[in-house]
Amino acid sequence: MTQPVLSIENLSIDYEVGAGVFHAVSDVSLVVPPGRVVGIVGETGCGKSTLAQAIPRLLPEPPARYRSGKIIFQGTDLIPVPRGKLPQVRGTGIGMIFQEPLNSLNPAFRVFDQIAEAIQMRHWREEGILPVFHPGPTPFDYTHRPLPEPVDVLSRPIVPGNAKAAVAKKVRTRSDFRKEVLEYLRLVRINDPETILDLYPHELSGGMRQRIMIAMALSGKPALLIADEPTSALDVTIQAQVLTLMKELIDEVQASILYISHDLGVVAETADDLGVMYAGQLVEFGPVADIFEAPRHPYTKSLLRSIPTRYKTDWPMPTIPGAVPNLSRLPRGCRFHPRCALAKPICTQDPGPRLRVIEARAGASSSHQASCHFAEEVASLP
Amino acid sequence: MVTSLKVRPVQRGFGSTAGPLGRRVWRSTRGLYRVMRANPLTFIGFVLVAICLMLALIVIVDPALIVPYGASQNTGAYKEPPTILRWPPSIQHPFGTDQGGLDIYSEVMLALPLDLGIGIGIAAFALVAGGMLGLIAGFWDQPRTLGGALSVIIMRTTDVFLAFPSLVLALAIVASIGRGVWAAILAIMITWWPYYVRLVRGETLAVKHLPYVTAARAAGVRDTRILTRHVLRNVLEPVVVYFTLDIGTVLVTFSTISFVGAGIPFPGKVPEWGSMMSFYQQNYVLSTYWWYITFPAIAIFMSALAFSLLGDGLRDVLDPRTRRALAESSSFHEPPPEVPQPAAAPDAAESEEEAIEEEAREVGAAA
Repeated sequence: MTQPVLSIENLSIDYEVGAGVFHAVSDVSLVVPPGRVVGIVGETGCGKSTLAQAIPRLLPEPPARYRSGKIIFQGTDLIPVPRGKLPQVRGTGIGMIFQEPLNSLNPAFRVFDQIAEAIQMRHWREEGILPVFHPGPTPFDYTHRPLPEPVDVLSRPIVPGNAKAAVAKKVRTRSDFRKEVLEYLRLVRINDPETILDLYPHELSGGMRQRIMIAMALSGKPALLIADEPTSALDVTIQAQVLTLMKELIDEVQASILYISHDLGVVAETADDLGVMYAGQLVEFGPVADIFEAPRHPYTKSLLRSIPTRYKTDWPMPTIPGAVPNLSRLPRGCRFHPRCALAKPICTQDPGPRLRVIEARAGASSSHQASCHFAEEVASLP
Repeated sequence: MVTSLKVRPVQRGFGSTAGPLGRRVWRSTRGLYRVMRANPLTFIGFVLVAICLMLALIVIVDPALIVPYGASQNTGAYKEPPTILRWPPSIQHPFGTDQGGLDIYSEVMLALPLDLGIGIGIAAFALVAGGMLGLIAGFWDQPRTLGGALSVIIMRTTDVFLAFPSLVLALAIVASIGRGVWAAILAIMITWWPYYVRLVRGETLAVKHLPYVTAARAAGVRDTRILTRHVLRNVLEPVVVYFTLDIGTVLVTFSTISFVGAGIPFPGKVPEWGSMMSFYQQNYVLSTYWWYITFPAIAIFMSALAFSLLGDGLRDVLDPRTRRALAESSSFHEPPPEVPQPAAAPDAAESEEEAIEEEAREVGAAA
């Protein structure tokens, strides 16, 4: 079995603010295998974005607090990593696409400068000018150590320092970057990239900006790409374009992707595996097709039922009664029970079986599970 | 039949990466000119500042070029002392002469480099020192960390300085060190930086949580680089504007210190506008010898005004949005594009006028 790119184990994140403690993410376990697209769906405020930003540890850490759990990226737990080392993971390790393309580009710099910066960061890491993320102490290999050539020893610079890297840093010119930036702009299907290079973000449309965000994220060549609602701030036609682009890129780039969205349709089109979040918990996880065919959690079931299928019929539209619980005062037992039609007395006491995503991953390729006492019954309901 | 579509290359104003260097420089200069021209007051300020700086440069390089009666004992610009004393402005002495045989025009000109240098120098020091402290205090302000502690120290120190009016504090410092140019400069330097700390810190706090900073962080950019590149560039705009406006204020403050008598003695080695005014105001009657004090005052006023006007329009230059829009506009007062008027429009207007006239007539008749 190949090692997963990312595995999250029992991650819990709180926000400690004046009004109390908000359990934004509780006990989430998740696995992103290499080359697969994992989707996360949920309502507004269910902890999707917190989860997305928590993975590269972008959350501002006094309000946010990692209560428990592990975020294992390529074999290393990111939570104990000191803050100063985190930039080594971001960009080249974990790339990110944000949901507000309008504000996520620096208004003072041209498109060229923004993408070139990401590329430069990657180059510096590749050439050893900037430190690369080393997961723990690297074991020293005594076995295959060739003897140094006398010429190398003699020509080694007396002053210690990475002379070769320093030269390489100086040699790279603006026009080299230009070529590379153009490559990435073409990758995200931007027409006339030569002109776009010299424009400022405010001169571009929302879809263009999101494309540039995607180009920026891809130019770091990340092992894991986190797309945090990349299409939700755009209008419908642009959404469709960006979505098509994302789908094409998923095939081209071959990165593992964590795709976060509130739109079931979007996730159904892009993802291989799907996780459904409710009130900070992952309530159901499994292959997309299985979840759409036979949802096992009542929440997923009602979500799927409330997707509008066509206009002007089916009135009133089916909705889920009640409201999302306040994350600082969560109900006992299953968090969905106050709104659940199938709730039994046991649901008010016992939160239901935990998802065993990680164990399941280790064995089978994919398994469909839900944290509900009546998962089998829900699946068999009409 | 169209065989090939020729697309005109986009001509971009500032610092476009396309094209040879010479053309880029020319384009930038033209763009700058257009931005300046779009706001006439800025343009005036820009021209005035340019004139001031040029004159100051000439005085530094070779005062004899524009200072005919270089005066005050020593400046090497001395040609010959004016022969007529206490003479109002004339062709030979544009600003008049004083009791002690000084040509006031020469004195005012000789004071130019000192006053401008002090204004720009002290404001620049405050900008750099205060700006750096403000960036640090704003960017690393997490409580219970080393940066947070540093931030608290910086801000409380700033508060101590801001508790006193800057002029009073500066005077107190001068009084305690002793009078002289360096004492006055030091005093203003000490009192001036806290304002920049406040301003820059506030801007940094506002900028550092914006999505694009998070995006840069997500791209793997280190904190120091985010601070010096992403945050600094976006903080710069209001700060540079404040700096430009501030040059005039520093200049006036320095002159005030001199005027009160704590700065540079006059007549002395180097003339200074504030001390000139102070000296003439104390020793001569303003109503009789009005030109003694008027011209140094005008010099202070004009230079302070010049920087204020420039600062006002600098915002347009620094913001890529307005800058691009203004630099692209081909002319300042561009006439709106010709819209073909519908033929009925003039008739309708006429008939309306007629209707009003008729109404008026009717009203008149009824009365």
